[in-house]
Amino acid sequence: MIANAPATDAPVLELDGLAVRLGRRIILDSLSASFSGRAIGLLGPNGAGKTTLLRTLLGFYPPAAGGARVFGRDLARDGKPIRAEIGYMPESDAHIANITAVHFVRLMGELSGLPTAAALERAHEALFYVGLGEARYRKVGTFSTGMKQMVKLAQALVHGPRLLMLDEPTNGLDPPARKRMLELVRDLRDRGTSRILLSSHLLGDVESVCDEVLILKAGRIADSCDLEAERQANRSFVEVDLEAPSDEFERALATLGCEVASIEPGRLKLVMPDAVTVRDLWAAAAELGVGIRRLDLKRDSLQDIFLRAMEGNHGGV
Amino acid sequence: MAVYERIWRRYEGRLTPIGRRWSVVTRYALAEAFSSRIFTAFYVLCLLPTLIGIFLVYLSHNASLLENIGLTREFMGGLTDIFFQILFSWQAIPAFFVAVIVAPSLIAADLANNALPLYLSRPINRRDYVVGKLAVLAILLSPITWMGGLLVFVLQSYLEGGSWWRTNWRIGAAYLIGHVTWIVVISLLSVAISAWVRFKPAARGALFGIIFILAGFAQAVNFVTRSSIGDLVHLLRAIFNVVLWIFGQPLRNDLPIAASWLTLALTCALSLWLLHRKLRAHEVVE
Repeated sequence: MIANAPATDAPVLELDGLAVRLGRRIILDSLSASFSGRAIGLLGPNGAGKTTLLRTLLGFYPPAAGGARVFGRDLARDGKPIRAEIGYMPESDAHIANITAVHFVRLMGELSGLPTAAALERAHEALFYVGLGEARYRKVGTFSTGMKQMVKLAQALVHGPRLLMLDEPTNGLDPPARKRMLELVRDLRDRGTSRILLSSHLLGDVESVCDEVLILKAGRIADSCDLEAERQANRSFVEVDLEAPSDEFERALATLGCEVASIEPGRLKLVMPDAVTVRDLWAAAAELGVGIRRLDLKRDSLQDIFLRAMEGNHGGV
Repeated sequence: MAVYERIWRRYEGRLTPIGRRWSVVTRYALAEAFSSRIFTAFYVLCLLPTLIGIFLVYLSHNASLLENIGLTREFMGGLTDIFFQILFSWQAIPAFFVAVIVAPSLIAADLANNALPLYLSRPINRRDYVVGKLAVLAILLSPITWMGGLLVFVLQSYLEGGSWWRTNWRIGAAYLIGHVTWIVVISLLSVAISAWVRFKPAARGALFGIIFILAGFAQAVNFVTRSSIGDLVHLLRAIFNVVLWIFGQPLRNDLPIAASWLTLALTCALSLWLLHRKLRAHEVVE
């Protein structure tokens, strides 16, 4: 048997009405989406179903309805072949008792199908890659939280998986360790050898790593977007604070061709078309005698997308 | 010292057959067991009954050696069924202690350290995992039970010559079937306890409790009811009845042999059900 060939044209992940029920509770409900990006982010508040989705893809929970495909393989039929292509870094502390880091990572490599000698060689490489080279003969149980996170990453990538599933990889890390972890994940993404599926409730982590995002809310898809496309759209977003609310000013901006949304009285958020500049906004305000207290020019961030998704009517309870 | 670059690359080489991945679980668990020198020494001691059996078989067929140590073949009395039954017991008891020492750490440690998601996110499933863990006990217990027993039987057949093995085939069958049944029962039971009791001393205590407290309970029930009905929960009685039945000897109670087989089968079924309930990547609280 030979290791799987590099990624084909099949999407990394396809969800087709996927529903998961644990006991009497519906945890995931009618998820349908398709992702082909290098790094896919699963975003949502605690309890949204991110971890349940990852565990379902690993076959830990059976779908109650619908299905999913990973690299075109059907979850119901090809559980083992799918797991052979996945490297999973769980959210909670997980290790094998009483063995050193290098033995632990080698064991995980062998379970994924590496011959003993190759598993040992790659265990050393993986531990050096994540920065645990000097600690590789220490027992994992004696590691600090940050080191345990890194050794979990090493075991997830020892066999060179096509898909790396990272569940809250920066949990419990101090700022330098978090930075290092995100650098590693970005490096893995940029090498293109593994696709990344990153679950996090931290917007910054997802924004810095992912190019596609699935936002979950109460087990349903609240939004999904192609962050890379959003970044490249180069649209101009402006946030304006007025001294007093003015419907006339809003109408004037709409006449200019801007999309205007009133966040709260006296505070507007607008998207300017290419032909309109900030100077035009100041001119309209001067003409109507409207006082502008603050004007921020910015692009739509993941935070905006996330907040919109959370405020929207998507997602059931 | 080897120098490793901090780079990462795909693995493009050969993969091991997916159907044999359970053996990785076995191999690492065996290495863990033999990492203790005390256990290794104890395990060697467990081979003593077989070695003594081989020595006695050899001695009973070596007239000059018997003469040198001042014994006669008549003094040895020949090697009867009783000799083989006693040897069976002296092999089965150390096997139980090996299971008591090794089994509690097989699954309990993985559960305590949340390792099951790591195993089950690989291309192995729960059945592979359990088979891998059970194989540890099968590999450890076989040399000190049925393999050793058959070795003694084969040596006796060879030295006795003629048709001895044909007239005494029940001895070989008892060693093989009796010990293999004992290994299956004790392995399933101890691994199931290991899955439910994470604290090792408590798991060992539970295994002792199930075997010996139930035996005491069975005796009490038998005494009160003036019957053998209590033996339905007496595992040791059940396994020895099976062995006696194969040896062609009278049973130690009034129950039919099917009752002993039923006791053993129900113990195995209960153990499998307990494993099925407990061994999940993540517990679901309903």
